[in-house]
Amino acid sequence: MSLNLPQLITQLENMGSALAEQQAALRRLLPAARKAFEHAAGMTPEALDAQVQRAGDRYRGARPASEPLLEAFSAPPLEGGLVVAGADGSQVYPDRHAAALYFVVQVGGLAMEIGSGLAPQTRTRPHIFYLPEDLHDQDGHPIGNAMVNGRRDAEEMSALADWAEAYAGRPFVALLDNGLLLWFALQVREQNRKDVDRILQAYLGHLDRLKAGGGCVAGFIDRPRSADVLALAHLATLPPEKVNDQALRANPYRALTDRALFSELLEPGQRSACFIDSSPLNRDFDAKGHEVRFFYLMTDARRTIARVEVPAWVAEDEIRLGRVHAAILDQCPATGGFPYVLVRAHELAVVTQQDRDQLEGMIQRRLLESNLAGQVSQKATTKRWTRSRRRHRL
Amino acid sequence: MTADDRPIGRVTRCSTRGFVGAVRLPEPQWPVFGTFCRAEAQQGQSQVIGLIYDLSIEDDELARQLAASEAIRPEQLADSQVNRQVPVEYRALAVGYWNGAGFTQSLPPQPPLTLAPVHRLSDEQVRTFTERLDFLPLMLSVPEIPVDDLMAAAIKSAAAVRPESERRGYLVRAAAEIARLLGRDLTRLESLLRAVRP
Repeated sequence: MSLNLPQLITQLENMGSALAEQQAALRRLLPAARKAFEHAAGMTPEALDAQVQRAGDRYRGARPASEPLLEAFSAPPLEGGLVVAGADGSQVYPDRHAAALYFVVQVGGLAMEIGSGLAPQTRTRPHIFYLPEDLHDQDGHPIGNAMVNGRRDAEEMSALADWAEAYAGRPFVALLDNGLLLWFALQVREQNRKDVDRILQAYLGHLDRLKAGGGCVAGFIDRPRSADVLALAHLATLPPEKVNDQALRANPYRALTDRALFSELLEPGQRSACFIDSSPLNRDFDAKGHEVRFFYLMTDARRTIARVEVPAWVAEDEIRLGRVHAAILDQCPATGGFPYVLVRAHELAVVTQQDRDQLEGMIQRRLLESNLAGQVSQKATTKRWTRSRRRHRL
Repeated sequence: MTADDRPIGRVTRCSTRGFVGAVRLPEPQWPVFGTFCRAEAQQGQSQVIGLIYDLSIEDDELARQLAASEAIRPEQLADSQVNRQVPVEYRALAVGYWNGAGFTQSLPPQPPLTLAPVHRLSDEQVRTFTERLDFLPLMLSVPEIPVDDLMAAAIKSAAAVRPESERRGYLVRAAAEIARLLGRDLTRLESLLRAVRP
């Protein structure tokens, strides 16, 4: 049975009108949010910093860095000889119904020498994991999808570091189709501290290599949902004596996004000031010299807003920050506001359903050759029976 | 029969009448209309001989986006033309098969296997296969394909793999066979003979 669309029609009508009302309510909220942000920008850096200190460790919003909060920055000219690389990853999660227990990570990437007229170099690296130590966590439990995502993220950063080393000595910008913080670590760190720390340290090691090679790295987040800067704006409006958990939670702008705010404050091509991510995970990054900062960027004339995350060593270096800014803007026009190298990296990395089916067939054949019964479970078999809809010709 | 070159794709759909192959290749390596090809059948016991008659480029939204963009970089253009493998689909009409001992010019006993690799026939194989012209009446019986154009292309490519001294003789022999088959349709016959004229 496919999705019963006729039965959804009434619900879809209700959904449409409810979303329209929500949008109208958010639009009404935006002027107050903007005023709160302007209030924050009008505070002295010391006063704003003191307010953030009062909020303590449980504050989950942006922290100001060194730039004036309300300022919008234009990109410097693109440098000659610039190399822009992108990487993205795809995966096949472990499936206990498959012929064997394994998972696959594939990373695709390319490096484009701007101004050369040459086709970029491309690379695709697939890796299949099947050993017991790959498939089980520190307590012997089967690993979950979050751990696979973590290994994929580390492989992506490894691919970018490899490009950076290959182009050492040239201006180089590496782009990642994601934030720089390893979010999987926050999800599963409590249960799998040892395994997560191993992946995290490998990831930070790749960032070390990128920095040592003289390159820049940035995580590009399209259509960001975060409201970190709005949390800062709310915090700034609280009287110092009333900064507590309850007041922080009563943020009237939490339904809005930073994207909505900066779509009013930026013009095409401009970036916002840099902010510091206050996630507890950022302390691990800071300890290794890679504290994550972020800014918002209007990537094109259609007023697309992206969130761009960079390590502190990029954010604090005017040349490197400008290089990242200019490189992203240069990559966006041909692909509608999203960097070209990331579009292609995804294309090089993606594992399709057809690929999965073929891989599963190859694994089954290989197992049979080794005199092993490599069969999918009966449940998986029955799902395949009903996967394709029956079509009756009239 | 051994592989003479890299595969030009794999079979995705098939019937006794022919098969559909798909491949992602840069443009210079695409097969051309009228190419003789072969695909494995009967678990390797036979090879279906096909004639490629329809090439199509599958929809590619990135190429469409780039074509519509006014701000494409030369490096992005080069990437699309050199690195990006264009998904090509082609249809091949079954005109015979090879059974381990020799070629037979009739419909194969079984269609190829799904995902069987498709190879071009080598010049020597084309020469041997086209020595007899019994594949021509087989083509004439197929509706809804450009039979005349395909027949002309097949005859010309069969002539092209023969030594210079034999080409004219081969074309004359093929023309005589076409005249025998289409003797009652003079308009069509004239058009076909014009197409294969040396």
